[in-house]
Amino acid sequence: MGEESQFDAIVVGAGPAGLACAYLLAKAGKAVLVIERGDAPGAKNVTGGRIYAYALNLLDKDLLDDAAWERKVSHEEIMIIDGNRSITMDYHDPSLTEGDESLQSYTILRAVFDQWLADKAEEMGAMVVCGIRVDDLIQREGRVVGVIAGEDEMYAEIVIAADGVNSLMAQKAGLISDIKKETVGVGVKEVIELPAKTIEERFKLNQNQGSARMILGCTQGIHGGGFLYTNQESISLGCVFMPQEIVQHGKQVHDIFQELKMHPAVYPLIQDGETVEYSAHLVSEAGYRGMPAKLYKEGLLLVGDSAGLVINTGYSIRGMDLALLSGIAAARAILGESDLSQIGPAYLAELEKICLLPTMRLSVGYNQLLDIPRIYSNYPQLAIGVMQRLYKVDGQIPQNLKKQVMEAINESGLTVWQMLKDGLKGVRSI
Amino acid sequence: MPGIYVYSDKMKQAAALIGLAAQSGKEVCCITMDSNQAQELKQYGPDRIIILNGNSPLPENYAESIAQLIKKEQGELFLVASTVRGRELAAKTAGYLDCGMVSDAESLVFEDKRIISSRLMYGGSVVQKAVISQLAVVTVPAGNLEAVQKENAQVSIVSLEVQADPRVRLIETLAVKKDKIDLAAAEKVVCVGMGLDKQEDIKMAEELAQVLGAEIACTRGIAEERQWLPVESYIGISGAKIKPSLYISMGVSGQVQHVVGIRDSKIIAAVDSNEKAPIFRAADYSIIGDMYEIIPLLIEELKNA
Amino acid sequence: MSRIIACYKWVADEADLKINPDMSVDLSKAKGKISDYDKNAIEAAVQMAKITGDEAVTLTYGSKKAKLSLKDALSRGPSEGFWVNSEKAEQADGAASSKALAAAIDKIGDYKLIICAEGASDTFARQVGPSVAARLGIPCVSSAIKLELCENELKISRKLEDGIEIVAAQLPAVVCILPEINRPPIPGLKSVLDAGKKTTREYKIEELGLLESDLSARTETIDFKAYVMNRKNIVLDGETAADKVKALVGSLKKEGII
Ligand SMILES: Cc1cc2nc3c(=O)[nH]c(=O)nc-3n(C[C@H](O)[C@H](O)[C@H](O)COP(=O)(O)OP(=O)(O)OC[C@H]3O[C@@H](n4cnc5c(N)ncnc54)[C@H](O)[C@@H]3O)c2cc1C
Ligand SMILES: Cc1cc2nc3c(=O)[nH]c(=O)nc-3n(C[C@H](O)[C@H](O)[C@H](O)COP(=O)(O)OP(=O)(O)OC[C@H]3O[C@@H](n4cnc5c(N)ncnc54)[C@H](O)[C@@H]3O)c2cc1C
Ligand SMILES: Nc1ncnc2c1ncn2[C@@H]1O[C@H](COP(=O)(O)O)[C@@H](O)[C@H]1O
Repeated sequence: MGEESQFDAIVVGAGPAGLACAYLLAKAGKAVLVIERGDAPGAKNVTGGRIYAYALNLLDKDLLDDAAWERKVSHEEIMIIDGNRSITMDYHDPSLTEGDESLQSYTILRAVFDQWLADKAEEMGAMVVCGIRVDDLIQREGRVVGVIAGEDEMYAEIVIAADGVNSLMAQKAGLISDIKKETVGVGVKEVIELPAKTIEERFKLNQNQGSARMILGCTQGIHGGGFLYTNQESISLGCVFMPQEIVQHGKQVHDIFQELKMHPAVYPLIQDGETVEYSAHLVSEAGYRGMPAKLYKEGLLLVGDSAGLVINTGYSIRGMDLALLSGIAAARAILGESDLSQIGPAYLAELEKICLLPTMRLSVGYNQLLDIPRIYSNYPQLAIGVMQRLYKVDGQIPQNLKKQVMEAINESGLTVWQMLKDGLKGVRSI
Repeated sequence: MPGIYVYSDKMKQAAALIGLAAQSGKEVCCITMDSNQAQELKQYGPDRIIILNGNSPLPENYAESIAQLIKKEQGELFLVASTVRGRELAAKTAGYLDCGMVSDAESLVFEDKRIISSRLMYGGSVVQKAVISQLAVVTVPAGNLEAVQKENAQVSIVSLEVQADPRVRLIETLAVKKDKIDLAAAEKVVCVGMGLDKQEDIKMAEELAQVLGAEIACTRGIAEERQWLPVESYIGISGAKIKPSLYISMGVSGQVQHVVGIRDSKIIAAVDSNEKAPIFRAADYSIIGDMYEIIPLLIEELKNA
Repeated sequence: MSRIIACYKWVADEADLKINPDMSVDLSKAKGKISDYDKNAIEAAVQMAKITGDEAVTLTYGSKKAKLSLKDALSRGPSEGFWVNSEKAEQADGAASSKALAAAIDKIGDYKLIICAEGASDTFARQVGPSVAARLGIPCVSSAIKLELCENELKISRKLEDGIEIVAAQLPAVVCILPEINRPPIPGLKSVLDAGKKTTREYKIEELGLLESDLSARTETIDFKAYVMNRKNIVLDGETAADKVKALVGSLKKEGII
């Protein structure tokens, strides 16, 4: 520790990214301070609710044993909505819940999970201070040497910006400018309480098993999608949108979400439940493109959402596992590199090694695919249209299937040419 | 003698307590430190009046003496009206007696060998019922009581020389100039909350009150923190409890500690810009909107009505 | 140097209280907090200690849940935190609480002043402070809005229903404060960090010379139910604010109120 520094590392933000980094640094005997503006870790955090276990396993093997899960995901579902009609596909595979723990995924509630991870980091010796907002970085000669919170200044060898999407720390360091509107979406979410048994009945789940459901076509043509996760005694239901499109469409997030809740295929799932939490949060949407050009500055590393490390595949959002990975990579770089000025490049190398950057690059195609506005209206309409014809038995002479599909295509307003183009994009993105 | 002992530093409440205690059918003994008060209290018909003669003008300083008296006479209950002095005296007496205490009992039901009390908890969201079966101290909200005169030729008045606690002494009393507001008796009330931006905006609310023929009231923050209205004007668990035919709030979020004071209103109307404000759950008629827009319109509408 | 002891209670946050359909109350999911006005009590102790050169400390009687409170309390400035740890605290009434606190204060010793808030945000019983004083056999002044030390006496301004009264109390004494007495600041980063380094002291009730039975509630709770408020709950709709106002005036007329 340098003379002035009171800590080896200061982590701003007690989300999964910051806590993973703090956990490893503290475990290695470093003096670590985590500063969180919420009254408790996870208090201000919003997430859909699924986390992949492999990332936690990578952080520390023992952690998987008593992690603060809600349910193990046993059913992967996709629901397509058009008007008041819907299709739900349910992918169930015993391997989702059996065998190697680290290949599985779990639903979580952030207030519980983040607190648990913070406790683990504290057990390792990290100091977690809540209810304090970091306002600025202290910089000397282009180097970050500490943070300012209210009246207090605190110095450290290195600062880890784990303050989430639209990171204030990254802005203060000049690594990102104000957020670009097209790269962030806004997510809204409700946690709806229901008895465990009711949830298990409605989703046909065994005890402790859960379903993860993506919902397409629920955003009234706006770039976005919905999600539904089953927790132990509650359901997380939400959707994500591009804010500027909402304005263009002259709609209100709240209204679209209300309509999703009242949808005839959704309402029976949440019926009689009590909304105990309503939240809204930004979510990085742009994948690799949305990442800052530089993920570090001398004395500062960006991890998790503050580094734009989110993949929106359309059928799921991955952010928490990537946050954990980047936290791990940051800790490895700090512990492995004694030359302070070389920690940044070492962090990038660790991000490559841990396969995070390669994964982000691969996600580029998804985003191109997701940029096609048709995904959010015409295609759901088409899928539903085909279904409707398939299942309609009215005693008339049935038309041949091809003809029916063509009819549905016409009805959805898509042209064959568009579909070919989009299909090609889709194939290339995989 | 086993029975109920009552005390209040306020004449009206002392009188009312005698009536309340008499409901038990037990002997009622009224304690006072003022012989004039003793004479007046006679008409309310307690069985006994005991005048404590000490050397302190502060009733709270008699707690230990009262505890000794009740212990000696094997009293069953000490009933006190919940004023600042009353509460302190009661709680000290309970401490000296090492007995249970129920504060601000909303109701007391005297049964054969026990008393059932109910009181509010968590700012007024919960009602706690408790059984008192041994010697206990109970305070009763001052406003809940009515005095009833009662013929009782047998009132015995005795004086008792006691040693008041000398360790707290009165230096001076500064009566605050009080704009005689009696919210408890108000027929209509306009209540402003922290939604009010500036002190001068009170005028707007006052105009509304005038058109309605209402008293103006507020939440704790307006009176205690911002001091824009006198403290007598605030409603709630630590303020006034009202029972008007109309209570209408402007920019009041409706936290339970406030709402507890308006529950006896006949009609509750609320204006607040936050559709999730709890006041709407407590209201009969709600307007979700900006009070700065609503109040002038309301004044206009009422004038035309 | 003697001690100025601020008593605070770790209470369930009333905002998290859940009402079941049968009107029973579920506190199990409620987060804990330092009772609102007890923050003023702690601040008053810290301010007074600055003036008198004494040591401000905190004291709480609570179950193991209250452990969480120690750091929070100490981040507000006091130098040491005392905690009487007993599950009995979950069912305590004013008699039991004041008994536990008085025994602890005796044990801590060398005290000059005890500061409580007038009422706790769960019970708002406004009795623990004066009862503690009686049990310790020391004077008490409630409804305090200003404290000044003159010689070896404490000059206290207290708020009564109809005016302000100024009294002088011999020390040691218990003072119950109203929230107007100060504005407790939100602890900053350094204060929170410092809190982690301060000493905390845990007492078991046996160490205080008390038996479990001493701390039983004297009043037996037989019912604990949500308050039911029946109201019309009509939200007045309208295109414009003027429409809503018309609807309100119309409704009030119909009610025969105006
Ligand atoms: C609606 C929605 C659904 C999602 N669904 C999923 C999903 O199902 N699965 C998945 O893996 N990911 C999902 N994500 C993404 C995921 O939530 C994020 O990628 C993840 O939380 C990022 O973690 P983080 O630690 O980088 O940041 P965060 O979890 O955002 O944590 C940042 C922390 O920093 C704190 N902070 C911010 N500023 C300051 C400051 N100035 N001073 C002090 N503290 C500060 C915040 O309070 C917060 O606790 C979803 C996101 C949204 C919005
Ligand atoms: C032990 C204890 C005892 C207490 N006792 C009392 C008591 O006796 N009485 C009491 O009142 N409080 C009491 N309180 C405080 C109480 O908890 C609340 O904090 C207080 O009642 C809130 O006052 P408020 O509604 O004015 O302010 P806020 O809660 O700040 O609400 C202001 C409201 O104004 C709305 N608003 C803002 N701007 C506008 C606008 N332009 N137009 C319309 N609406 C607007 C906001 O949406 C908000 O709902 C007590 C608290 C404790 C802990
Ligand atoms: N369990 C407790 N631990 C510490 N202080 C307490 C406790 N209970 C009450 N007090 C103090 O006594 C005050 C009044 O409490 P009450 O009489 O319950 O309204 C509180 O504001 C605290 O200052």
